[in-house]
Amino acid sequence: MHVLLAEDDSILADGIARALRSHGMVVDLVDNGNAVELAIKHAEIAVLVLDIGLPGIDGFEVVRRLRLHGMQVPVLLLTARDAIQDRVHGLELGADDYLVKPFSTLELVARLKALVRRSAPKPAEFSIGGLTLDTFARRAHIGDQAIEFSVREWAVLEYLMQQASRVVSKQQIIDAILPWGEDLTLNAVEVYVSRIRLKIAPSNIVIRTIRGFGYLLEPITP
Amino acid sequence: MVNVGSIRINLLKWLIAPLLAINLIGAGLTYRLAWVPAQMAFDQSLADAAWALVPRLRDNDGTILVDLPQQAEQVLRLDHVDVIYFIVRNPSGQLVAGDQDFPSLPAPEKLNDPVAYDGTMRGEAIRMIVLKARVGTQVVSISVAETLRKRALIRTEIFVALIVLEGLLTALSIALVWLAVTRGLLPLKKMQADLDARSHDTLAPVSEADLPRELRPLVDAINTLLGKVQAGAAAQQAFLANVAHQLRTPLAALQMQLEWLQQRHPEGHETAHSATLMLTATARMIRHTNQLLALARAEPSRLEKDRFEEVDLVPLIEDAVQVFVEQAVRKQIDLGFELQPARLRADPFLLRDLIDNLIDNAIRYSPPGSTVTVGCCRIVDDVFFMVEDSGPGIAEAQRELIFNRFYRLDDTVAGSGLGLAIVRDIVLAHDAQMELSSGPDGRGTTFSVRFSAGG
Repeated sequence: MHVLLAEDDSILADGIARALRSHGMVVDLVDNGNAVELAIKHAEIAVLVLDIGLPGIDGFEVVRRLRLHGMQVPVLLLTARDAIQDRVHGLELGADDYLVKPFSTLELVARLKALVRRSAPKPAEFSIGGLTLDTFARRAHIGDQAIEFSVREWAVLEYLMQQASRVVSKQQIIDAILPWGEDLTLNAVEVYVSRIRLKIAPSNIVIRTIRGFGYLLEPITP
Repeated sequence: MVNVGSIRINLLKWLIAPLLAINLIGAGLTYRLAWVPAQMAFDQSLADAAWALVPRLRDNDGTILVDLPQQAEQVLRLDHVDVIYFIVRNPSGQLVAGDQDFPSLPAPEKLNDPVAYDGTMRGEAIRMIVLKARVGTQVVSISVAETLRKRALIRTEIFVALIVLEGLLTALSIALVWLAVTRGLLPLKKMQADLDARSHDTLAPVSEADLPRELRPLVDAINTLLGKVQAGAAAQQAFLANVAHQLRTPLAALQMQLEWLQQRHPEGHETAHSATLMLTATARMIRHTNQLLALARAEPSRLEKDRFEEVDLVPLIEDAVQVFVEQAVRKQIDLGFELQPARLRADPFLLRDLIDNLIDNAIRYSPPGSTVTVGCCRIVDDVFFMVEDSGPGIAEAQRELIFNRFYRLDDTVAGSGLGLAIVRDIVLAHDAQMELSSGPDGRGTTFSVRFSAGG
């Protein structure tokens, strides 16, 4: 995954670059707004991490120009200000997400992966905590052990895996697996999740229940 | 410094002392007005008695003879209260009739014009009348005197009446002055009540309406001062917000670098241990910085109500879920939600601060294994936001204190002591109400904020 980082604070830029590289990403660095467009043209950039307070032209202006020139690269804005006007302004101009400084490495990585996932075609196969889903063949296995899921169970599990380490509400699950507006109760979601739990028990995945809200799928950290 | 005392006492002093003096002078005049005619009337009756003696005298070739039978003399001397004395002297000053020991008096210059004198006779004060009258060819001097008992009685009566009258007048004056002064000071009292009713951050100018002209300069001065205080507070908060913003980038850099350092070393390694500790300290700095910012933002004097907009609590809470679930999972706390649609007019940023601080507090101060439940709902025109925990509860005596800045219940838990002060400011800014309750056994705490849905 190729990330372009536009941040003028050199210590922060260095920190972000190293953190992202340690997560297997390729990171290009620029320290002013003018250089962003050129850098995007020169390399196949998967996602842009853009500080709003850049010297030269600021982050808002960079996004505006990118979109004006028809560049669809996903943009994650970074800002030290959390005024709602800033956030709205940024998203209106065409940024895709927004992160207020300071943030943790995990948060940044999760947001970037989500952005790239959204913009890129779904990967055929992905694996968390020993559980591997082959979305193309609709097959799942833990180690050598194949596991069977019903259509609905599969849909719920696939969504939870895509949103791994993020809390999702039951309504979000319903909206994600039934885009055609078919009826599905919140209770039904609970039933599917409890069946999934039984089936993936041998893996290193836990699906936590967030009482009254939804679920959190994450790998068990030893 | 000179002790200027009370305006009321000063006014009373200045009003009542002259009033009393005027009353005293009035009393003196009244006394004279009442006494002089009485004295004249008494003197007149003495003179009448003297006149009554004239027909009793006869000029017998240069010798004055008196024809005063016993009975007539008794009539002359008859008085129930006073003793009457008299004397008739011939032109050479010799006694013709009457009391021999009557004091001798200078004869009046004019005829038939009685003159009055004070004197003493037989050890008692008396009032005397001397009348020079012609009897035949002779000019005689007739003196009549009486003791002063009747006069003393009348005097006493006048005196008592005056004392009563003046006493009433004085009491009435004092009461009127007191009333007038109290009424006069009423606008001051009203102003005081207005100022008293303010909280420490209500810096709006004092209204000049309904205030007398004399108080206007004072109110103007107070308003000028309030304006300066407000400007100062605003500048201070802007500075605070600016500092907090400025701190965020270096804090982010520090955190990133430390996380990288920590990852590069296996667990148990000394460097990793040190990096973990530094990360904890950084996390604390970040939290404090964010809270300073929230505090600067929530200060009610800074808040403009036109920033309010229609918001639903549910998405705001959902937005906060991710961070707090991570925190709760780490602490083995069962974090749950009971969310029902709850739309209201409010400042979404402040609401988010309120939500964050109350949930953070509940997780932070509840021991592992506790339950924390976040709820919101709308009942008729009220919107409720509640955070309930099964933690140790808060003693009744501490419930007020915990909203003070930097007050902390438990020093062993890392916290800034600012969270609830921020919550209180946000509640104030929304004219909302905050309630804090514990379970029947004193365990567990529920923070409940009630907003009016209209904002």
